[in-house]
Amino acid sequence: MRRCAFLLLPALLTAAPLAGQSTVTGIRDLAFGVVIRGVQTTVAPSDPVKSGRFYVRHRLNRQVRLQFTLPTQLARVGGGGNLPITFPNNSAIARGTAGSSVPVTFNPNVAQTFNLVTSADFFVNLGGRVSPAANQATGNYRGTVTLTVTFF
Amino acid sequence: MRILTRVSAVVVAFLSLNAGGASAQSANINATATVFQAITVTGARDLAFGNVFPGVAKTVVVSDATSGRFDLTGQSSGNVNVSFTLPTNLTSGANNLPIGTWTGCTNATNTTTGCTSFTPSAGATASAFSGAGALFVWVGGTVSPAANQAAGAYTGIVTLTAAYF
Repeated sequence: MRRCAFLLLPALLTAAPLAGQSTVTGIRDLAFGVVIRGVQTTVAPSDPVKSGRFYVRHRLNRQVRLQFTLPTQLARVGGGGNLPITFPNNSAIARGTAGSSVPVTFNPNVAQTFNLVTSADFFVNLGGRVSPAANQATGNYRGTVTLTVTFF
Repeated sequence: MRILTRVSAVVVAFLSLNAGGASAQSANINATATVFQAITVTGARDLAFGNVFPGVAKTVVVSDATSGRFDLTGQSSGNVNVSFTLPTNLTSGANNLPIGTWTGCTNATNTTTGCTSFTPSAGATASAFSGAGALFVWVGGTVSPAANQAAGAYTGIVTLTAAYF
Protein backbone atom coordinates (compact mmCIF):
# COMPACT_ATOMS: atom_id res chain seq x y z
CA MET A 1 0.00 0.00 0.00
CA ARG A 2 2.54 2.57 1.08
CA ARG A 3 4.81 1.57 -1.77
CA CYS A 4 2.10 2.12 -4.39
CA ALA A 5 1.27 5.56 -3.05
CA PHE A 6 4.87 6.67 -3.48
CA LEU A 7 4.94 5.42 -7.01
CA LEU A 8 1.88 7.48 -7.93
CA LEU A 9 3.04 10.73 -6.38
CA PRO A 10 5.74 11.57 -8.97
CA ALA A 11 3.18 11.34 -11.75
CA LEU A 12 1.00 13.98 -10.09
CA LEU A 13 3.91 16.31 -9.42
CA THR A 14 5.27 16.20 -12.95
CA ALA A 15 1.89 16.71 -14.60
CA ALA A 16 0.99 19.94 -12.83
CA PRO A 17 3.79 22.23 -14.13
CA LEU A 18 3.03 21.35 -17.76
CA ALA A 19 -0.32 23.13 -17.58
CA GLY A 20 1.45 26.27 -16.30
CA GLN A 21 3.69 26.48 -19.35
CA SER A 22 0.88 27.66 -21.58
CA THR A 23 0.22 31.36 -21.47
CA VAL A 24 -0.99 34.39 -23.42
CA THR A 25 0.01 37.93 -22.51
CA GLY A 26 -0.88 41.32 -23.95
CA ILE A 27 2.38 43.23 -24.29
CA ARG A 28 1.63 46.29 -26.45
CA ASP A 29 -1.47 48.38 -27.20
CA LEU A 30 -2.66 49.02 -30.73
CA ALA A 31 -1.99 52.77 -30.77
CA PHE A 32 -3.10 54.83 -33.75
CA GLY A 33 -1.76 58.05 -32.25
CA VAL A 34 -3.09 61.26 -33.77
CA VAL A 35 -5.69 60.77 -36.48
CA ILE A 36 -7.43 63.52 -38.40
CA ARG A 37 -11.14 64.07 -38.71
CA GLY A 38 -12.41 62.63 -41.98
CA VAL A 39 -9.16 60.81 -42.71
CA GLN A 40 -9.03 57.03 -42.52
CA THR A 41 -5.88 55.81 -40.77
CA THR A 42 -4.43 52.31 -40.94
CA VAL A 43 -1.80 50.71 -38.75
CA ALA A 44 -0.08 47.72 -40.35
CA PRO A 45 0.57 44.65 -38.20
CA SER A 46 4.24 44.99 -39.12
CA ASP A 47 4.41 48.45 -37.57
CA PRO A 48 7.04 48.08 -34.83
CA VAL A 49 5.61 50.84 -32.66
CA LYS A 50 1.88 51.22 -33.27
CA SER A 51 0.73 47.64 -33.83
CA GLY A 52 -0.78 45.74 -30.93
CA ARG A 53 1.14 42.73 -29.67
CA PHE A 54 0.49 39.53 -27.74
CA TYR A 55 2.85 36.80 -26.61
CA VAL A 56 1.73 33.18 -26.63
CA ARG A 57 3.59 30.19 -25.23
CA HIS A 58 2.59 26.53 -25.35
CA ARG A 59 4.46 23.37 -26.25
CA LEU A 60 6.29 22.30 -29.35
CA ASN A 61 4.36 20.00 -31.70
CA ARG A 62 1.05 20.98 -30.12
CA GLN A 63 -1.74 23.20 -31.42
CA VAL A 64 -3.17 26.52 -30.37
CA ARG A 65 -6.39 28.16 -31.50
CA LEU A 66 -6.48 31.96 -31.61
CA GLN A 67 -9.77 33.81 -31.36
CA PHE A 68 -9.87 37.60 -31.20
CA THR A 69 -12.73 39.56 -29.72
CA LEU A 70 -12.51 42.79 -31.67
CA PRO A 71 -14.28 46.09 -31.07
CA THR A 72 -16.24 47.72 -33.87
CA GLN A 73 -15.93 51.14 -32.24
CA LEU A 74 -13.58 52.92 -29.89
CA ALA A 75 -15.36 54.95 -27.24
CA ARG A 76 -14.42 58.56 -26.58
CA VAL A 77 -12.83 58.91 -23.16
CA GLY A 78 -15.24 60.98 -21.10
CA GLY A 79 -18.12 60.20 -23.44
CA GLY A 80 -19.40 62.03 -26.45
CA GLY A 81 -18.96 59.68 -29.35
CA ASN A 82 -17.58 56.52 -30.91
CA LEU A 83 -14.85 56.02 -33.48
CA PRO A 84 -15.41 53.19 -35.97
CA ILE A 85 -12.59 50.64 -36.14
CA THR A 86 -12.15 47.70 -38.49
CA PHE A 87 -9.61 44.96 -38.89
CA PRO A 88 -8.79 44.11 -42.50
CA ASN A 89 -8.29 40.47 -43.47
CA ASN A 90 -4.50 40.79 -43.44
CA SER A 91 -4.13 42.74 -40.22
CA ALA A 92 -2.66 40.03 -37.99
CA ILE A 93 0.73 38.35 -38.12
CA ALA A 94 1.97 35.43 -36.03
CA ARG A 95 5.67 34.77 -35.84
CA GLY A 96 7.54 32.19 -33.80
CA THR A 97 10.54 33.17 -31.77
CA ALA A 98 12.81 30.64 -33.45
CA GLY A 99 15.04 32.10 -36.15
CA SER A 100 13.67 29.66 -38.70
CA SER A 101 10.04 30.59 -38.03
CA VAL A 102 8.12 31.98 -40.96
CA PRO A 103 5.65 34.81 -40.24
CA VAL A 104 2.04 33.94 -41.01
CA THR A 105 -0.38 36.70 -41.96
CA PHE A 106 -3.97 35.93 -41.09
CA ASN A 107 -7.45 37.36 -40.70
CA PRO A 108 -8.08 38.31 -37.07
CA ASN A 109 -11.84 38.25 -37.66
CA VAL A 110 -11.71 34.46 -38.02
CA ALA A 111 -10.42 31.93 -35.50
CA GLN A 112 -7.10 30.38 -36.50
CA THR A 113 -5.41 27.18 -35.41
CA PHE A 114 -1.65 26.85 -35.56
CA ASN A 115 0.64 23.88 -35.21
CA LEU A 116 3.70 24.77 -33.19
CA VAL A 117 6.35 23.18 -35.35
CA THR A 118 9.45 25.32 -35.04
CA SER A 119 8.70 27.37 -31.92
CA ALA A 120 6.89 26.67 -28.68
CA ASP A 121 6.23 30.39 -28.31
CA PHE A 122 5.35 33.19 -30.69
CA PHE A 123 4.19 36.77 -31.02
CA VAL A 124 0.94 37.93 -32.57
CA ASN A 125 0.90 41.45 -34.00
CA LEU A 126 -2.37 43.20 -34.72
CA GLY A 127 -3.04 46.17 -36.99
CA GLY A 128 -6.30 47.91 -37.75
CA ARG A 129 -8.07 50.85 -39.33
CA VAL A 130 -9.99 53.73 -37.81
CA SER A 131 -12.36 55.90 -39.82
CA PRO A 132 -13.10 59.22 -38.12
CA ALA A 133 -16.08 61.09 -39.50
CA ALA A 134 -15.62 64.61 -40.84
CA ASN A 135 -17.40 65.88 -37.73
CA GLN A 136 -15.86 63.39 -35.33
CA ALA A 137 -15.55 64.82 -31.83
CA THR A 138 -11.90 65.50 -31.07
CA GLY A 139 -10.36 63.71 -28.11
CA ASN A 140 -9.00 60.40 -26.96
CA TYR A 141 -10.70 57.13 -27.89
CA ARG A 142 -10.20 53.68 -26.42
CA GLY A 143 -11.40 50.12 -26.85
CA THR A 144 -10.42 46.64 -25.73
CA VAL A 145 -9.01 43.85 -27.87
CA THR A 146 -9.11 40.37 -26.38
CA LEU A 147 -7.17 37.38 -27.61
CA THR A 148 -8.41 34.03 -26.37
CA VAL A 149 -6.04 31.13 -26.90
CA THR A 150 -7.11 27.55 -26.60
CA PHE A 151 -4.22 25.19 -25.92
CA PHE A 152 -4.49 21.64 -27.24
CA MET B 1 -6.02 -3.34 -2.09
CA ARG B 2 -9.35 -1.65 -2.54
CA ILE B 3 -7.89 1.69 -1.60
CA LEU B 4 -5.07 1.32 -4.09
CA THR B 5 -7.53 0.74 -6.89
CA ARG B 6 -9.40 3.96 -6.15
CA VAL B 7 -6.27 6.07 -6.06
CA SER B 8 -5.07 4.66 -9.35
CA ALA B 9 -8.37 5.47 -11.01
CA VAL B 10 -8.15 9.09 -9.91
CA VAL B 11 -4.61 9.43 -11.22
CA VAL B 12 -5.48 7.87 -14.56
CA ALA B 13 -8.38 10.26 -14.97
CA PHE B 14 -6.16 13.28 -14.17
CA LEU B 15 -3.48 12.26 -16.67
CA SER B 16 -6.06 11.68 -19.35
CA LEU B 17 -7.54 15.12 -18.93
CA ASN B 18 -4.14 16.74 -19.01
CA ALA B 19 -3.03 14.94 -22.14
CA GLY B 20 -6.17 15.08 -24.25
CA GLY B 21 -8.14 18.09 -22.95
CA ALA B 22 -7.86 21.70 -24.02
CA SER B 23 -7.50 24.75 -21.83
CA ALA B 24 -8.06 28.38 -22.76
CA GLN B 25 -6.66 31.69 -21.60
CA SER B 26 -7.38 35.27 -22.60
CA ALA B 27 -5.39 38.48 -22.57
CA ASN B 28 -6.32 42.07 -23.36
CA ILE B 29 -4.69 45.07 -24.96
CA ASN B 30 -6.16 48.50 -25.64
CA ALA B 31 -6.80 50.05 -29.01
CA THR B 32 -6.34 53.81 -28.76
CA ALA B 33 -6.58 56.84 -31.02
CA THR B 34 -6.56 60.59 -30.59
CA VAL B 35 -8.75 62.53 -32.99
CA PHE B 36 -7.52 65.99 -33.99
CA GLN B 37 -9.08 68.49 -36.31
CA ALA B 38 -7.44 68.89 -39.69
CA ILE B 39 -4.66 71.43 -40.17
CA THR B 40 -5.28 74.30 -42.54
CA VAL B 41 -2.45 76.34 -44.03
CA THR B 42 -3.03 79.64 -45.79
CA GLY B 43 -0.39 81.64 -47.59
CA ALA B 44 -1.35 84.97 -46.05
CA ARG B 45 1.35 87.26 -47.44
CA ASP B 46 4.01 86.97 -50.13
CA LEU B 47 7.70 87.42 -49.38
CA ALA B 48 8.32 90.53 -51.46
CA PHE B 49 11.80 92.00 -52.06
CA GLY B 50 10.54 94.91 -54.13
CA ASN B 51 13.08 96.56 -56.37
CA VAL B 52 16.57 95.14 -56.25
CA PHE B 53 19.63 96.22 -58.20
CA PRO B 54 22.36 94.32 -60.04
CA GLY B 55 25.25 93.46 -57.76
CA VAL B 56 23.42 94.50 -54.58
CA ALA B 57 22.08 91.80 -52.27
CA LYS B 58 18.84 92.55 -50.49
CA THR B 59 17.50 90.96 -47.31
CA VAL B 60 13.97 90.88 -45.95
CA VAL B 61 13.81 89.94 -42.26
CA VAL B 62 10.80 88.32 -40.65
CA SER B 63 9.74 91.47 -38.84
CA ASP B 64 9.58 93.44 -42.10
CA ALA B 65 6.18 94.33 -43.49
CA THR B 66 7.12 92.47 -46.68
CA SER B 67 8.17 89.18 -45.08
CA GLY B 68 6.20 86.11 -46.09
CA ARG B 69 3.55 84.86 -43.71
CA PHE B 70 1.56 81.64 -43.40
CA ASP B 71 -1.50 81.35 -41.16
CA LEU B 72 -2.26 77.89 -39.77
CA THR B 73 -5.17 76.46 -37.83
CA GLY B 74 -5.27 73.13 -36.06
CA GLN B 75 -5.98 71.27 -32.86
CA SER B 76 -5.89 73.38 -29.72
CA SER B 77 -2.39 73.10 -28.20
CA GLY B 78 -1.49 70.36 -30.72
CA ASN B 79 2.17 69.78 -31.50
CA VAL B 80 3.03 70.36 -35.12
CA ASN B 81 6.09 70.03 -37.33
CA VAL B 82 6.58 72.78 -39.92
CA SER B 83 8.83 72.24 -42.92
CA PHE B 84 9.51 74.14 -46.12
CA THR B 85 10.21 73.53 -49.76
CA LEU B 86 12.34 76.46 -50.78
CA PRO B 87 13.58 77.70 -54.14
CA THR B 88 17.26 78.30 -54.75
CA ASN B 89 16.46 80.81 -57.48
CA LEU B 90 13.66 83.14 -58.41
CA THR B 91 13.04 83.02 -62.11
CA SER B 92 12.10 85.41 -64.85
CA GLY B 93 11.80 83.45 -68.05
CA ALA B 94 15.18 81.78 -68.51
CA ASN B 95 16.90 84.10 -66.01
CA ASN B 96 17.64 83.12 -62.42
CA LEU B 97 17.98 85.29 -59.34
CA PRO B 98 19.67 83.41 -56.47
CA ILE B 99 17.79 83.39 -53.18
CA GLY B 100 18.93 81.97 -49.85
CA THR B 101 19.88 82.68 -46.23
CA TRP B 102 16.36 81.85 -45.20
CA THR B 103 15.05 82.99 -41.83
CA GLY B 104 11.85 82.03 -40.07
CA CYS B 105 9.82 82.75 -36.97
CA THR B 106 6.69 81.23 -35.41
CA ASN B 107 4.19 82.60 -32.95
CA ALA B 108 0.81 81.62 -31.57
CA THR B 109 -0.41 85.17 -32.12
CA ASN B 110 -0.20 87.34 -35.22
CA THR B 111 2.86 89.35 -34.29
CA THR B 112 6.58 88.82 -34.76
CA THR B 113 7.23 90.37 -31.36
CA GLY B 114 8.45 87.56 -29.17
CA CYS B 115 8.24 85.01 -31.95
CA THR B 116 10.44 81.91 -31.97
CA SER B 117 13.18 81.98 -34.61
CA PHE B 118 14.14 79.00 -36.71
CA THR B 119 15.93 78.23 -39.96
CA PRO B 120 13.44 77.16 -42.65
CA SER B 121 16.12 75.44 -44.72
CA ALA B 122 17.26 73.28 -41.80
CA GLY B 123 14.44 70.74 -41.93
CA ALA B 124 11.31 70.32 -39.84
CA THR B 125 10.73 72.70 -36.96
CA ALA B 126 8.65 71.68 -33.96
CA SER B 127 5.99 74.11 -32.87
CA ALA B 128 2.52 74.07 -31.35
CA PHE B 129 -0.88 75.58 -31.96
CA SER B 130 -2.23 78.06 -29.46
CA GLY B 131 -5.07 77.19 -27.15
CA ALA B 132 -7.32 78.70 -29.81
CA GLY B 133 -5.75 76.48 -32.47
CA ALA B 134 -3.75 79.20 -34.27
CA LEU B 135 -0.15 79.37 -35.47
CA PHE B 136 1.59 82.05 -37.53
CA VAL B 137 4.81 81.52 -39.45
CA TRP B 138 6.95 84.24 -41.02
CA VAL B 139 9.72 83.74 -43.53
CA GLY B 140 12.48 86.02 -44.74
CA GLY B 141 15.47 85.64 -47.03
CA THR B 142 18.13 87.26 -49.14
CA VAL B 143 18.32 87.68 -52.90
CA SER B 144 21.72 88.17 -54.50
CA PRO B 145 21.50 89.70 -58.00
CA ALA B 146 24.60 89.32 -60.13
CA ALA B 147 26.34 92.41 -61.43
CA ASN B 148 24.93 91.62 -64.85
CA GLN B 149 21.53 90.44 -63.60
CA ALA B 150 18.91 90.77 -66.31
CA ALA B 151 16.12 93.19 -65.47
CA GLY B 152 12.66 91.74 -64.98
CA ALA B 153 10.08 90.46 -62.50
CA TYR B 154 11.35 87.33 -60.72
CA THR B 155 9.14 84.90 -58.84
CA GLY B 156 9.42 81.64 -56.99
CA ILE B 157 7.29 79.44 -54.78
CA VAL B 158 7.74 78.81 -51.07
CA THR B 159 5.76 75.85 -49.77
CA LEU B 160 5.04 75.18 -46.11
CA THR B 161 4.02 71.71 -44.98
CA ALA B 162 2.62 71.06 -41.52
CA ALA B 163 1.98 67.76 -39.77
CA TYR B 164 1.07 66.76 -36.24
CA PHE B 165 3.58 64.80 -34.24
